[in-house]
Amino acid sequence: MLPSGWEVTTAVLLAIISFPVSLVLTRFFMQVNARRGIFGIDVHKLSKPRIPEMCGAAIPVTLILLSSIYVLIGGGNSIMMLAFSLVVGSAAVVGAVDDRLKMRGIYKPLLTLLCGLPIVALGLLFPNQVYNPTLQVPIFGSFHLPVIYPLSIPVAISVTSNTTNMLDPLNGTMAGGVSIISAALLIGVLITAPAPSAVFLYACLLFSALGFFYFNRYPSRAFAGNVGQLSVGAALGALAILSRTEIASIVAMFPNIQNSFFFLSKIKRFTEHRALTAKPTKLLDDGRLASSSDPKAPLTLVRTLLVGRPAKESEIVSTIFALFLVSAALALITMILIG
Amino acid sequence: MGLNHRAVALQLIIFVTQWGLMIIGFGILAAVVGPLRIQSDPSLGRYFDAAVKAMIALVLSISWLFIWDRQVRVYFYRKREDIAEPV
Repeated sequence: MLPSGWEVTTAVLLAIISFPVSLVLTRFFMQVNARRGIFGIDVHKLSKPRIPEMCGAAIPVTLILLSSIYVLIGGGNSIMMLAFSLVVGSAAVVGAVDDRLKMRGIYKPLLTLLCGLPIVALGLLFPNQVYNPTLQVPIFGSFHLPVIYPLSIPVAISVTSNTTNMLDPLNGTMAGGVSIISAALLIGVLITAPAPSAVFLYACLLFSALGFFYFNRYPSRAFAGNVGQLSVGAALGALAILSRTEIASIVAMFPNIQNSFFFLSKIKRFTEHRALTAKPTKLLDDGRLASSSDPKAPLTLVRTLLVGRPAKESEIVSTIFALFLVSAALALITMILIG
Repeated sequence: MGLNHRAVALQLIIFVTQWGLMIIGFGILAAVVGPLRIQSDPSLGRYFDAAVKAMIALVLSISWLFIWDRQVRVYFYRKREDIAEPV
């Protein structure tokens, strides 16, 4: 048996390959989707450029491909990798269907509930190999949740995937935010309990998100689409459960939680941004973004950051990344407190 | 980098407050609610216990979100939520 340090090093080195793979796949999807006329409009630019959509498919494809290779070389827990791949793959399918068919807002949370079922099913078939129903709490120890924990897994996957889906209004916010979250949780796992499979999956998510971010950063040349957003969110949720970083993951996703909570508390239903009659922000004649003065508009994170101070899109993106750095630092402290 | 320093500072206060409250909330669940045995019946009582504990966790979560809501509205929006007037 290989020493643990060597296993962890191998896991990180293999995961780094996901960066060029994701980069090449994003480029591939940009060309293919542009040829097929799959475009989105960048509404926060005065010129309203048409950008290839659904290029975020590169991330789930990279994650599933690299997880399979990792299992084939005998590097990780194959049941855990299977559970992760099924969750990410099924969320990507839900996202792709939504991208093409434009489903009503309620269907995404309902269908992504089903994406968590592979973890529950495999956990019941292979006890203690997929998830551990004892929740680790900072400072106060832990508590056992044999009934509630498995029941909450589908809800957790649905929440993480949809909240990630909702915080991608500006160029690069989803990919950049997820890169910061996964980097912090990867460091936390390496410091506290460096299980090779968890290290590999977090590193894979980090580098595949960075590969996509290269084309998605301001000014975007590729849009993720629901296929990318839902699958990346599902990957975060699945990793929280599989690597026992539940509470730290909630902390790292504070910007997402705030955005989704204030959106839902104002609109009071699950709906798509495109279906909103009152938009949270408006584009000024000089190209800057401003907070909407419409009282019916949702209080999204971007709108909150624009209150009383119109700003360029790039400035808002930088501010959102600063918020993710704050929440990522708190998540890291949480993991250290858990030990 | 054109950061909105005021917004970042206010959000930092909100995040740190919510983080502290969350740890206290999970602490209450782990130290007080978790060890509770409301029903001693080994079969159905287990599910009753789980349901009661889930309800307590739900109430704590709603209180947590309510405090979050108040903080954002106080720091970023001056008037009533219907108006959502920027500060």
